[in-house]
Order: sequence, then C-alpha cells, then structure tokens
Amino acid sequence: MTILKGLLVDLVPMNAFEDKMYAFWNNESRQWAFMGEWGPVSRATIKRIIEHRREGAAHGYTGVHFIMRARDGETIGTIGLNWVNQWCRTASTGAWIGEKDYWSGGHGTDGLLLLMQYAFDWLDLRRMDLETMDINRRAQQNVERCGFRLEARRRAATFVDGKPVDTLVYGILREEWPGREALVNELNLRQRAEKRYGKVE
Amino acid sequence: MLQGLLVDLVPYGQVYRDLEHTWRNHEASFWSSGGDRPIVTHAELRTHFERRAEYQNRPDAGVTFGVQTKDGTPIGFFSINWLVPHHRLAMLGARIGDPAYWGGGYGTDALTLLVDYAFDWMDIHKVWLGTTDANARVQRQMEKVGFVLEARNRDESLMDGVWVDGLLYGILRDQWPGRAAVIERIGLKAHR
Amino acid sequence: MIEGKLVDLVPFEDDFATYFETWMNEEPWFMAQFWERREPHPEDVVKKYIEKMEKNERGALIGFQAKNDDPIGGLIYDHEWSRVRKLDVTWFVGDVRYEGSDEALDGLLMLVRYCFEVRNSHRLDASALAIDTTRINLLERAGFVHEGTLRQHIRWNGGYVDAEVYGLLETEWPGYEAKIASIDLQPSGLEPKPKPEKKDEKNGEKK
Repeated sequence: MTILKGLLVDLVPMNAFEDKMYAFWNNESRQWAFMGEWGPVSRATIKRIIEHRREGAAHGYTGVHFIMRARDGETIGTIGLNWVNQWCRTASTGAWIGEKDYWSGGHGTDGLLLLMQYAFDWLDLRRMDLETMDINRRAQQNVERCGFRLEARRRAATFVDGKPVDTLVYGILREEWPGREALVNELNLRQRAEKRYGKVE
Repeated sequence: MLQGLLVDLVPYGQVYRDLEHTWRNHEASFWSSGGDRPIVTHAELRTHFERRAEYQNRPDAGVTFGVQTKDGTPIGFFSINWLVPHHRLAMLGARIGDPAYWGGGYGTDALTLLVDYAFDWMDIHKVWLGTTDANARVQRQMEKVGFVLEARNRDESLMDGVWVDGLLYGILRDQWPGRAAVIERIGLKAHR
Repeated sequence: MIEGKLVDLVPFEDDFATYFETWMNEEPWFMAQFWERREPHPEDVVKKYIEKMEKNERGALIGFQAKNDDPIGGLIYDHEWSRVRKLDVTWFVGDVRYEGSDEALDGLLMLVRYCFEVRNSHRLDASALAIDTTRINLLERAGFVHEGTLRQHIRWNGGYVDAEVYGLLETEWPGYEAKIASIDLQPSGLEPKPKPEKKDEKNGEKK
C-alpha cells in the first residue's frame, strides 16, 4: 500500500509507528530534527503525542504526514507538510530520518522530491518552505540540491549543546521547481538507488 | 468592506441574523433553496447559527457577507458556502430577502464583488453555483455576467409540486475579466 | 446479505475492514472520492471513516463480494436529501482484478436497486473524472444519463481535469430484474484472494 512511490523510499501512511517513534525520539536523530532539543522520552509520552496529533487531525488541521519507508521495507523516518495554507498556497515542510544508516545515500532527497511533487502537482501550491539549523550541513545540502533557496538566517534562534545556533529558512517557488523527473536525473537518483538496493523496476 | 455601485458587502453580523427570521420564512427562500418553504422559529435559527459558528475556524470554512444598499439597508447575503481548498474551488450561495431588491442590479453588483474577491483574495481557481431552471432571473444574470452553463441535473428539485432541473454554472479564473470590465460591459450604474 | 446476479451486498466489516486499510490508499479509492484531498490514510483514519459511515443517517458504505465470498469493494450512497429524495452514489473496486468487470457493473446495479427500490429515491447523482473512463463506462452501461461537464473542476496530478456529471431518475429505472435481463452479465471466474493477514494486536507491521 503506497501513496507516493520513489526510488529509494516510498511515502506511506503513518501506521504502527509507536515503536519506531519511541526509538527515534530517544536516539541522536532527535537533536537534528528538533533544532537541538534532546532528552529521554517515555513510551507513555509517545502515546500522548500520537493521540494529540490524531485529535488535531479531527479539527481542521491542514498538515499531511507520511512515513518514509525504504526499499528494504524499513521505516526510516517521517516527512510531511506541517501546515498548508491553501489561500496563500504555501506549506511548511519538515522531515526526520530516525535511522542513522539512512542519513545518506539519497533517501532524504528522494523523500523530499516526492513530497514536493505532491505539494506542487496535487495541492497546486505555489511555495514551500522549511527551517533548519546552520550546523545541519546534510539537510542544507539536501534541500539546496532539490531547488530550495536560502532566504533568511535567524541568528541565535536555537540552542544546541550549550551554544546559541542560527537557523536557516529556505524556500522554493513553483516557477523554480523543474519537476521530480528533472531532479531525479540531475542527481543520479536512479544510479544511487541501484547501488544501494539493486536494479530499480 | 467590499464596495460596489449599488451595494456593499459587509460582515454578516447580528442585524443580518435577526433579519434571517423574516427572510427565511418568506418567498425569497423558496427561490434560493430551490423549492423549500421553511417554517422556522427564532430559537431554531439561533441553534443553526451556533452550529455554524463552530465551523468558522476550519480551513475550509466558507465566507459569508451581508449585502446592504448604499444607504445602509441590509437586503440579504452572498457567500462562498462550499469551499474545497485543495481544488481551489468555491461554490457561491445567495439570497436577497426583500423582493423590492430583486432586479435593479443589486444582486449582480454583489455577485461581481464576490467573484472578484474569490479570485483576487482567495486565489480561487474556479467559482461555481447552482440554481433551478424555474429561476429565470438568475439564468439571465449568469449569462450577463459571463458564467457558463455546465450541467443540467434533471428533476433535481421539487418546486410547488413540480419537478424542475438544477442548473450548474461555472467560471474559471482565466475567463474572468474582472469586475470592472464586467460592470462596464453590462452597463451597471449607481442609482441617482 | 442481499443477493444479486454476480455479486452479493454485505456489511462492510471483518475482511472488508482489513482490506480497506490498503484500498483506502490506492488509486480506485482516490478516483471514486476525487472531491477529497488526496492524502495517506493510516489505519486509525480508515477505522474512523467506517465508523462515521455506520453513524451516517443520510448515507452508507456497503460491501460487495463475488459469489465465492471474495470481497470486491465498496458501494456508497451519501448526502440523502429527504425533501427531493436525491442521493449521491459512488463505488470503488478495491480488488483491481475486478476493475471494469461485470461484477463491478452488477455492484453498481445493486446499489441503484437499493437506492430506488429500498430507499425510495427519486434521483441519483453520480460523477466521474473525465479521465476515469472505466467509471464512465459503467455508469453509462447502468443507464445513467450524462448531464454535463464541470470544466477544469478538480486538481489532479499537475493540472485541472473535468468532472462529468450523471443522473438517473426513478422513472428511468426498469427494476433490477428487467435491467439484468437486458444486459448479458458474465462472471469473471476469478479465484478468491487468500484471506487477509490479521495484524497481531501489538503494533506489528503487516508485511
């Protein structure tokens, strides 16, 4: 069952996610996803967070969230639109790869390109944006390769390991989006998928 | 709020909700509902508005304007009553409550204000609305303003015991020349 | 159970509910429910939809299956208007082997039968994306009349597509028996699917 099929990942519904979520919230990936925040999180808290999100969905919440599932079947993280303003036709996005083994190789890129295609082609948005820490080089490289442009530097906007850290706001307009196919080719995503997982169907 | 030549579109406040009792129990509502003749109490209307208020903060909540003449007389409402955000689609609804203001350009003035609003402020892709084939006035207005007849739903509504067809009209953003061009073309003018 | 010629109508539960976790995330569902935002439906959302339709007094979700008890998909009527006795109808074929089949047509005819002969409807509304030729074909075979084209109405995969509008009146429905006598419905003869795996209660992922 898939909604958005990619080369290295598929974006699928958020099913049966509690165990993975518990693992991700308690490993080093959380610091990266949460702008420096970390600390032990209990199963009960995870349950409450999931419940809270589900309730939000019933009250006209506009976000759309997917699980990133790698070609080997592993749930590796989440990606989605945190909110969608259909009148301004903009959305804010965020992603979290909780399994370190999948931080590179193209999984994040593949997931982001699928999401961008969804936002521009299906929701007819004209703009996407996101925010990341300036120490998160991996994320910056990823979004820049996908066409996002640096728009703002929010100085000392977050705090990591005892020090203030700037955050960066990136945006992309639909006129700047060449389409998923063009970027898949430009970034050699097929070859990278084959290298990792063997021949792509 | 939105200023026209014959009417202004204003917030749908308490004075309009109070007048709804007169308007809904009246002939106008037979036309705007496609044949219903409601008999409603003040209390029922209060409940109706309370329930509607619960939906106001949803991202797909519509927009309702009160319509008042230039001298401040409330005469009805015009609204986007069904919004589908992901299709950028807006369905309009309207009722001018007092037959004294049917014809004369009030409805057309309000309609063109609302269509401009939908395209310019809400970045809608398409505006559509329905009426019945018994409503000659609205059909004439649709043609004048530039809506295209897209569907005829046969026997969709019952008006005084007779089955009538429903008519669906639509206009796409790239076909809408803007309110200014439309009212110029149809010769809508302020009174006096 | 309500028996038709090639399919039977059953409550939408048990295996249907299990399959629906997949079906609600696949193309036939999105093509049938094109008014809704296309988005992923996790299991809890699927469950809530079924519950919502169970509580819905102006509509219902009904399962339809082949004669060998193999679940095919869902039939839906909704937005019942009591004053004018009007209903929206649609269906989705979850098991894609039956897409466009005579079983799917019989499912639609059984739904129409239910709406006219049990719910006492006067008029049925149906619509299809212009690109959904399978659905259009079935609607026309069932006798629905094309009433118009809503131009560029629906956002779909990078552009806007037309929505075709259909209607069927009670005076145009000859009755189920007469209708199937006039069409030569042939069973597809498909083998039943293996029963769906039930997930274990504790968070397990279905493979």
